[in-house]
Amino acid sequence: MQNARDTFYVTLRDRLAAVNPVRTMVVRGVVRPGLLVEENELASAGESADVFRLRWTGLRVDAEGALPLVAMGCEIRYATDGSAGNGGMDRGRMLAAMCGELVAAVNAQPQNVGKMNYSTSPAVSMGTNVWWGDVAFGAVTVNAERLEQVANVEVFCFQEAGEL
Amino acid sequence: MADLVMSAVAMRRAADVLLHGVGGRVVMLRMPATASAGDVTEQLGLAVPQFQDVELAPVVLERGSATGRTMLVSANAVNALVGSMGYSAVSVLFADAFGVLVDGVLMEVESVAETELGGAAAIYRLSLRVPVALQA
Repeated sequence: MQNARDTFYVTLRDRLAAVNPVRTMVVRGVVRPGLLVEENELASAGESADVFRLRWTGLRVDAEGALPLVAMGCEIRYATDGSAGNGGMDRGRMLAAMCGELVAAVNAQPQNVGKMNYSTSPAVSMGTNVWWGDVAFGAVTVNAERLEQVANVEVFCFQEAGEL
Repeated sequence: MADLVMSAVAMRRAADVLLHGVGGRVVMLRMPATASAGDVTEQLGLAVPQFQDVELAPVVLERGSATGRTMLVSANAVNALVGSMGYSAVSVLFADAFGVLVDGVLMEVESVAETELGGAAAIYRLSLRVPVALQA
């Protein structure tokens, strides 16, 4: 299932970068597209506004079929303070823009991609796909001047023989 | 103006003397190396960055709760690191730091506050988090 997680992250990262190329962040001195997987970063990495943070949550495995069907919960967290130049009064618009970017990236067709194994160099294509449902949004949380949003996507894959 | 600058310098020296006088010690600040541009393996947690341990002294550690420590550190020492490592500000240095190594235990920097004397920071107060495995 790690291959499916990696594949979904890379796909979503590339789609978000295509939707809004200027949404970037600096991680240890390097500019990257504005999406990161929390568990893949240093534990000391602080939370940044105006970027997407991906967190893997639930996991279900259905072993009835020829290949085990894996369903994984994916939580995407993001927040904004608005822009300082506008006194933060545009924070609602900026949050809405992030929601729009996420919908455009996650709900764009096709909602599937060939599973890749990135643990080898170069990455190799695997025999099955990764696919996912539409994005579902939770309630917006107001934390002082910051607006916080959590969105959820369910991601599916088949567990191939010998795959961890 | 010159008086103000001299005052700040004197206050920083006084803070250093104070920290040394109450048993100031040496700890290491663990800094991660710059990420590799375009390297997907780091983004996927497959590659680990290199780390560099740099000396930080004098510092005084206070035992806070079971989960945390407070560390007082000389502003002179911190400013020297900011300059030598090419950081733009103290806040950026500590935000980038992976943690503080104290007697072999790596503690995460949770927050940084400064005590200002004579118009400039003289002592930085860091809140450190003890690793979950060592929390009593």
